[in-house]
Amino acid sequence: MRGILLNRYTVVFGAMAVSVIAWNLYVATHSAGRIAGRVVGPDGRAVAGATVTLREKTLTTLEPRAAAQTDDAGGFVFAGQRAHHFVLEAAKDGVGKSERAAYRLAFRGQSLSISEPLRLQP
Amino acid sequence: MRRTPTWPIHLVLLVVSAAMVTPLYWVLKTSITGDNIFAYPPALFPRHVHLYYYVDVWYYIPFVRFLVNSTLVSLIVVVGNVVFNAMAGYALTLAFRGKRAVVLLLLSCMMIPFQATIIPAYLITKELRLLNTHLGLALPLCSTIVCIFVFKAAFDAVPRSLIDAARIDGLGDLRILARIMLPLSTAAVATNVILAFIWSWNNFLWPLIVVRNQEMQTLPLALSTFLSYLENTTGALYAFCIMVLIPGVLVFALAQKQFVEGLTSGATKG
Repeated sequence: MRGILLNRYTVVFGAMAVSVIAWNLYVATHSAGRIAGRVVGPDGRAVAGATVTLREKTLTTLEPRAAAQTDDAGGFVFAGQRAHHFVLEAAKDGVGKSERAAYRLAFRGQSLSISEPLRLQP
Repeated sequence: MRRTPTWPIHLVLLVVSAAMVTPLYWVLKTSITGDNIFAYPPALFPRHVHLYYYVDVWYYIPFVRFLVNSTLVSLIVVVGNVVFNAMAGYALTLAFRGKRAVVLLLLSCMMIPFQATIIPAYLITKELRLLNTHLGLALPLCSTIVCIFVFKAAFDAVPRSLIDAARIDGLGDLRILARIMLPLSTAAVATNVILAFIWSWNNFLWPLIVVRNQEMQTLPLALSTFLSYLENTTGALYAFCIMVLIPGVLVFALAQKQFVEGLTSGATKG
């Protein structure tokens, strides 16, 4: 029995199976798909009422998936997102729009809190 | 007596090994960095390492489907090779009229490339209604002549007295093969498994001809399709290459000792 358990085939394939199960359990329990961030103006102050667009990067194109409005503190939240590679862009009439910022996730539905705010430029 | 220094041989082996490992290292490095392979001067060591290209491959294409297809086809090929080649190898260890002609015929068939027989192979597969099926993908590789001779060499090394004793005990040929020959030829079995697996896993031309839709594609075929999608996928493309390579490397690494034994058994006498 000990020989079978310590056999290199058992060890390698067993370790692979355990890793796959553990990873899938982690993904299943961390896939709320919550993406949160902030939008600031050229002066660095929070911008309320800006529109943030989320586009998923597919193999060939950028597909619009969702849009959100910033609150008084300039914060925005997307919930239930399934993209693993996406681009965010913020815009507000009279203030300007931000550069497109690309983000990558380790799996679909991973939650992300973006530390660097999207900066609107005239 | 003065001992010949071994360091020159080790040095040469080191250089040769490095030359052989470098392409694989470069593929691995590109897959975790996405560096442009044409950049000059090239970066020898990876910077800004990440695994996102592997994530891209996983989600951009139905990778699991291709993996299942390749695994199923390889399993059929491995089982077919062990069963059919063992039977053929055992038959060639027996004495029968025309044996020399059969051996010569098999050896001469080894010189015909698969490309030359691809049209008859296609027509036979079509007549059997196996186009675009896993069995149809596996069929041409289910027995290979090289592996038949690997089994023959291993079976030739089994003492005749054992087989005679088994016959006296009333065992038929199939049971002699299953109960005596195969357990005593584990190295040959390992060689068959590894060769069949790697040939099937890397096979590109036959799936390209037989497969009709994306659901039936195997990994090498999917890799070529992926390559044709767009050019800005260097990192993902190399990540895909690594994901295709891993199972073959793993199987070889796990059974390399038996593989080498199987290939060299029968090569020396005594």
